[in-house]
Amino acid sequence: MTATFDNLSAGDVIDGPKFAVSRESIRLFCDASLDYNPLHLDDDYMKGNFGKTNFGGIIMHGMNNFGLISRMITDWACPAGAVHRRLETRWVKPVRPGDTIQPRGIIKAKQSTEKSRWVLIDVVVKNQAGEKVATGEALVEFPRDLCCQ
Amino acid sequence: MAQAEAFETDFWKDANLRKTWDDIVPGEPRKTIPYTLTRQAIELYCKSVGETNPIYFDEAYAKTTRYGGLIAPPSIHILLMFSCTPADDWMRSPGTVNAGQSWSYNIPARPGDVITLQARALDKFIKRERLFVVHDNVFFNQKGDVICSGRGWTIRPM
Repeated sequence: MTATFDNLSAGDVIDGPKFAVSRESIRLFCDASLDYNPLHLDDDYMKGNFGKTNFGGIIMHGMNNFGLISRMITDWACPAGAVHRRLETRWVKPVRPGDTIQPRGIIKAKQSTEKSRWVLIDVVVKNQAGEKVATGEALVEFPRDLCCQ
Repeated sequence: MAQAEAFETDFWKDANLRKTWDDIVPGEPRKTIPYTLTRQAIELYCKSVGETNPIYFDEAYAKTTRYGGLIAPPSIHILLMFSCTPADDWMRSPGTVNAGQSWSYNIPARPGDVITLQARALDKFIKRERLFVVHDNVFFNQKGDVICSGRGWTIRPM
């Protein structure tokens, strides 16, 4: 069912797309984002230590995760005539080739302001083991004259 | 990958030219370069994150929407961060680890937009023996309208 500002309640869930991470998907993201940091490309480099951290192999871009969350938000908001206005994220755990990740949104609060209406969404991304790899918060605007379509 | 051919993909090449945590001065603007966003670049970015909304691909459909034409997904700033900065920008230092981001979206970027960036390091600090820099960024279109603005927290290589 398409969301409307009035029918949304705290606790409602938005299921985002599953995303299978592979060396190829990471390489494609390098080409698409122009972020060729060796963290995402160079296995030998990733055998080394980063201060106290050792990743043990290449990792997915944090921003690939960000793009996936953003896709979930726009795919949910756009059919409702709503607009993705903000996304804040923290990366909790590295994502590696072979992982499958899935973002999920949980409606946290609704707020009306003088000129518009806003929905605050908690975001969590988990891997196939159910471990949190990213957390965040999104803000979606439901204009009184609905947008998008 | 026409855009990738014009872009130095070996981030080690100019590594010695880039500022380290010690050199970065919070408040000092970063050098930036205007970038013309193409439909091809938007489509490649969409493919990399699995975007399927026709508003990014189908011009006839996009014309029927409130936007009146093709747009880029909000998260296109991920590409713009690298396309609007030169090879000696410290965001390309090998080993730069992304710790978190926050972005606000005003209007969509569109194919053909000539996009400019105003960017600086805003803050730097040390936490649990890690060297952090906070960078802030605002992207504008050719009319001077804000597309989006955001901050990122990165851990700098040691």
